[in-house]
Amino acid sequence: MVEETTVQNTSSHFPDVDITQSVHDFAGTKGEYYATEFKRVQKSSSGYCWTFNLGAAVFGPLWATARGLWGLFWVFAVLELVVIVMIGQGLWGDLGSDKFARADRLQTNYERMIERVENAKEEGDEQGVESFQKRADNLAAARDKALAEGELAQAGKTRLLIVGLVLLALIKAFEGFSANIAYERQYTTWRTDSTVRSGLSWKSGLLGVAIVGFVYIVTLIRFTSGDPPDYVAEFPIDNRFYLGVAGWIDHYFDMASRNFAFLFSGISQGIRIILDGVETLLIGTPWPVVMAVILVFAYRSAGPRVAIFTAAALAYIAVLGYWQESMATVALLGTASFLCISIGIPLGVWFARSRRAYNFARPVLDLMQTMPSFVYLIPIIAFFGTGKPPGILASMIFGLPPIIRLTTLGLKEVPKDVVEAARAFGATDMQILRGIEVPLATPSIMQGVNQTIMMCLSLVVIAALIDAKGLGYDVLVALQYAAKGQGILAGVAILFCAIVIDRVVQGRFKDTEKGG
Amino acid sequence: MQDDVVIELKSAWKIFGSRDKEAMEAVKSEGLGKTEILERYGAVVGIADCSFNVRRGEIFCIMGLSGSGKSTLVRHVNRLIEPTSGEIWLMGEDVMKLSSTALREIRAKKIGMVFQHMALLPHRSVRDNVGYPLEIRGESKARRWNVSQHALGLVGLEGFEDRFPRELSGGMQQRVGLARALACDPDVLLMDEPFSALDPLIRRQLQDQFMALSEQLHKTTLFITHDLDEAIRLGTRIAIMKDGRIVQIGTPEDIVTNPADDYVRDFVQNISKLKLIFAHTIQVPVNDYVPAAGEDLGQSPRVSEDVDLDHLVDIAVTTTQPIVTTNEKGEDVGVVSKDRLLQGIKGGK
Repeated sequence: MVEETTVQNTSSHFPDVDITQSVHDFAGTKGEYYATEFKRVQKSSSGYCWTFNLGAAVFGPLWATARGLWGLFWVFAVLELVVIVMIGQGLWGDLGSDKFARADRLQTNYERMIERVENAKEEGDEQGVESFQKRADNLAAARDKALAEGELAQAGKTRLLIVGLVLLALIKAFEGFSANIAYERQYTTWRTDSTVRSGLSWKSGLLGVAIVGFVYIVTLIRFTSGDPPDYVAEFPIDNRFYLGVAGWIDHYFDMASRNFAFLFSGISQGIRIILDGVETLLIGTPWPVVMAVILVFAYRSAGPRVAIFTAAALAYIAVLGYWQESMATVALLGTASFLCISIGIPLGVWFARSRRAYNFARPVLDLMQTMPSFVYLIPIIAFFGTGKPPGILASMIFGLPPIIRLTTLGLKEVPKDVVEAARAFGATDMQILRGIEVPLATPSIMQGVNQTIMMCLSLVVIAALIDAKGLGYDVLVALQYAAKGQGILAGVAILFCAIVIDRVVQGRFKDTEKGG
Repeated sequence: MQDDVVIELKSAWKIFGSRDKEAMEAVKSEGLGKTEILERYGAVVGIADCSFNVRRGEIFCIMGLSGSGKSTLVRHVNRLIEPTSGEIWLMGEDVMKLSSTALREIRAKKIGMVFQHMALLPHRSVRDNVGYPLEIRGESKARRWNVSQHALGLVGLEGFEDRFPRELSGGMQQRVGLARALACDPDVLLMDEPFSALDPLIRRQLQDQFMALSEQLHKTTLFITHDLDEAIRLGTRIAIMKDGRIVQIGTPEDIVTNPADDYVRDFVQNISKLKLIFAHTIQVPVNDYVPAAGEDLGQSPRVSEDVDLDHLVDIAVTTTQPIVTTNEKGEDVGVVSKDRLLQGIKGGK
């Protein structure tokens, strides 16, 4: 008894939710029909029920657009397009037209040959008659073969037509049976979000007609005509236009590099000075000193395990004779990272302060990160030539965005109430920045530093392409001569550099996190 | 009297939105309401025509529900939020006319502020948090340490100087916040819902501690709260806000016995009146009182007319006679019958 009542409570004793009025509001025209059908759909426990929408079956994609179901529109349109092409080829297709053309040609040749046979007969040239007759027979055979092939293709047309019609019927059935289910879903979304399209819209229906008409007609021309016009099959190109634009770009690049030579060479010189300093430090100093310093630094900042790994990595590099190249790479990397960090952090601070500046800079940063490195190597060569400073500049394009982004992010995440408290106690903007915002953003900034270093490393290797030397150069040479052994050894040396730097910087980063 | 006013706001308005100035003009010339301003200018009225003054040594509570503009209002006093229109005076100075340097000077030296969510600096020790206002003023480390030691002593947090804020409980953190506000010995304390985020027991303790401190230090305090009980416990005077406007200003007793409108009446309905209403409010003049059968005023207990209902109840349970009240000279002035007392407890007169 008790069980029965509970079962009743959960199933039949609740009154139905009346959706009639709201479906009317939603569907506009034919509200009554949709109210009934939606109720049926909602009653089915599997979420599917056999409900057939004749309008949707007949009009297919046009019904879908008029009802605002754009997703369904594309599905219907593509399916119909395939069968329409089949049917079109079946009805008007020039299948076998090439064979018939060939047969025509052969027929002409055959007639000509027969003429020659007649001529030879008149002249009484026995030999000629025989040989021309033989050729004419060959031609006739070839003509008949071509005709037969053409007929076969013509017969294929009927098959295509039948298959197409069957498929069309299936697709129409699918359209009719899926329409109400999809439309009911649209209705459910519309209930909570009134911006969802509702009702029957002639405007959007006409747009559907336009799209479908254009697509169907052009595609039919392409597939049914034996010899479609060129501009349908391929985009009409004028090569002169391409060359003209390229030449124009060349011209302005040359002009800019000539007129601003002082600027570009100034930047190169500046980078060169920093790089020379770092190189003297790393390469000029005797190797035992540099190694010892690196080891101690690794031990102090990241602990004994990283120090042991560092020792192994350094040994590998030194024993295989990559010491000079590695230090050159590290010098490039160090200079690039140093420049990135000293430019990126102030920019990040600025962008955190000024929403307008950040909105302006964000697409630029996105571009810097998404552009393939090969692409921006070209303007860099154009303006700065080849060598190490241009290599560093290329690395900076890739390495700047993370430090800028993460500085901005870190500053934006500083709790507003803490900043307000500082202001309430009379702090100046500078005091707030130095005493509160930067310290609180430090974990984020350090993460940015780490990412920047890694980005720079990957680019410093690629920059070997523009003669930036270092380990990347060894890999490049190995690539050019397919020297597997050399390439792998140099590659592993790069990998070790990356891991050691990453570990050591991460170690420092964890330190600041603990302290903060 | 005028010299005694420490904080004064005169008809302060704050309208948020990009077209705030236009909206302000429209308010002044056409007297637009809140909804019209939102419709026509897309601007939100934060506070509307707020005027009040706070006297020296007073705890002035501003009470209102969330969204009523009370936190916005308190930020006008030190201009963390700029008013759209109106005047702000602090100890005889027109705050609106101060240069940014002078404003920072005032914030650093004359105002201490406590925040709802403590807003302690998470990367600094408790000691450095409390010393932060002094650090901003460029005081030496030695002085900062001494002062924060003293301020932490005031709030009973000796021995926690070298901890980080996150190692402390919520109540302790807010005491650090209070110590930080007291560190630079300000004339004015602005407290923005300081105890709201704490659980009731801790809140009660901190209220008691704050009252004790207040007795001792006599700081002029502007205290924001959404809790009328708290306002009544702490406030010398209370301002009640609704939708950016001040609906009523008065002593706790005023508010409870004379609510200005239905809104305030709703609030005070469930407030215990025992400690807020005094004998002189509910007594019947002794000459008008007609003793009922069996009553003899000669046998009635005598009590000062300034005692509160709580006290009267304690006396009433010991006698069958009505209570007679006396003035400071000891003369009989009024009579409080039991009926009268019960009415008084319910808030009637």
